[in-house]
Amino acid sequence: MKMLHPDQLDRFFASLAPTWELRLPILLPDGTRVIGCPNDAPHSLHGAPVAGKPTAAFFPQQSTLFTVTDGAIEEPPPADRPLFIVGFHPRDLACLRFIDRFFADGCRDDCYFRVRHGAAIGGLSGYCGPAGSLIPPAGGDCDVEFFWDRSSWLVIAYSATGNTLIADLPETAAPEAAELFPQLAAELPDENELLIRHASALLRANRVPDLFWADIGDRCIACTGCNLACPTCTCFGVQDWRSAQKTERSRMWDSCQLDGFMREAGGHNPLGSEAERTRRRIHHKLAADPEKWGEISCFLCGRCDSVCPTGIGIISVAREMVARFA
Amino acid sequence: MTATPGHTSLYLPIGCEIISVSDLTPGEKLFRIRRADGVPLGHLPGQFVQVSLLGWGEAPISVASSPTREGFFELGVRRAGTLTGAMHALKAGDTLGIRGPFGRAFDLSRLRGQNLILISGGCGLAPMRSLIQYCEDRPAEFGSIAILYGAKSPADRLFKDELAVWEASARFACSMTVDNISVGDCFSGSVGLITALIPPLAFNPDSTIAAIVGPPAMYRAVIAELHKKGLPSERIIVSLERQMRCGVGKCGHCSIEHLLCCQDGPVFWLNEIEHLRGAL
Repeated sequence: MKMLHPDQLDRFFASLAPTWELRLPILLPDGTRVIGCPNDAPHSLHGAPVAGKPTAAFFPQQSTLFTVTDGAIEEPPPADRPLFIVGFHPRDLACLRFIDRFFADGCRDDCYFRVRHGAAIGGLSGYCGPAGSLIPPAGGDCDVEFFWDRSSWLVIAYSATGNTLIADLPETAAPEAAELFPQLAAELPDENELLIRHASALLRANRVPDLFWADIGDRCIACTGCNLACPTCTCFGVQDWRSAQKTERSRMWDSCQLDGFMREAGGHNPLGSEAERTRRRIHHKLAADPEKWGEISCFLCGRCDSVCPTGIGIISVAREMVARFA
Repeated sequence: MTATPGHTSLYLPIGCEIISVSDLTPGEKLFRIRRADGVPLGHLPGQFVQVSLLGWGEAPISVASSPTREGFFELGVRRAGTLTGAMHALKAGDTLGIRGPFGRAFDLSRLRGQNLILISGGCGLAPMRSLIQYCEDRPAEFGSIAILYGAKSPADRLFKDELAVWEASARFACSMTVDNISVGDCFSGSVGLITALIPPLAFNPDSTIAAIVGPPAMYRAVIAELHKKGLPSERIIVSLERQMRCGVGKCGHCSIEHLLCCQDGPVFWLNEIEHLRGAL
């Protein structure tokens, strides 16, 4: 295990810049923390999970698939340097693991892996949560984990890339991760874990009636914030952008909460009501994905509950579902 | 468009040339196409392609011809939006892009040796035609074949010339119906819903498989009639329309609960999807 004092952070990150395209949680002037370029704003490793999809570096809001100039197709060039993204909380890492699997399955999505391949991931944990609260350690799912012990960052590598990244940091005599982390994780039982599993079981047993979805759907204002913030939402649309010089085909995040999401050319719409669309959003994560992937695809990052203006994020809906139908 | 040599991207279209364009109805055209590199499309009956027109985007279109007809493939396209509208302005010699073929085809290994009832409504005859042509070209592989087709009106029927050939052929038992007929229409089939064509059929459910392709409203009623005749869901195939945006299982637009129409379908055995909400 290595150690990094807070006053060494800038120097450490600067030392990586020649080799890596670095992304860190940064603090915007309005107080929002997002993952961004360290040259754009001061870094901010302490606090709640960053706003927005932490997975957006690999599946951005808009990605160019190809451009055509004078009849010749050109794909986006590879990046000069691989990305090193620090700032994934353990639940974010679970989300990343899920969408890595999703984009690799079957037809491997080269648009995603063009950026993801070779990228390094840094997890954040320890007493760096809101107001110094403990974020349980990830213990894996990343190349390097930064654990804040209230005075320093304990730095643990989980891959060859991780070992290379932190090779120059000094060793520490702090407790071995293998001893420390399970103990800390056990101190933080998560009620929401039980809640979401309970809600999933209700849905899979078909014990949630349509009236419930009509009720939840009535509260949806179709702002699509839930989808746009969710790290495991991967739906997109494809469109062309034309200019005098070239045509670009790109994909852009889409939302299953919009009326046109599944409307077919013939006019038929399998998701033709807000009740159906709201059910789809929740059912997809808690019932369809467990059927397809063997695991619930909500990892309780809490972003949809934070952004939803009407209180129908997935944890809120699960809580209501369990209260009414358990 | 010229595809980058040796490209591997899922999203790059292959350049194709239009060999001919013909009118099927006032709103539908048939495009005969070949890949510019001369490579066969390599499809099976029931699969679809993503048609790409630069500046207009992409749309999923079922292949309407059988792979047994070599040197080209055909797409029946209804003018329904901006891309299909732009397609309708194309002519022989123009180019377009294709990705695919994608999706699960009709399970020919299970169809072989069986008696077939091929039921289509409206535009559904286009994908069904790929299977009908396959049966036409490999007649020894299948038992008896009934073709049932329903359209809104005589003028709305697709592939009128081929329908006449199939009607006259001893290989097929062909029945047609239209919802409405106007004074002066020349049409010898029945008037009414396609469901009315099923009760008169005589078949052994143990050696018969039915395939259905049509508008969403058609499936439940047709399936009910087939069930009444003793045909179980395990012997009924449905090909479903969904809004596939990527064709490769990533965009999420064609999900049916845990299944994806573009990868797990569009051709399903009915018992695989009849319990899934929104499938039919």
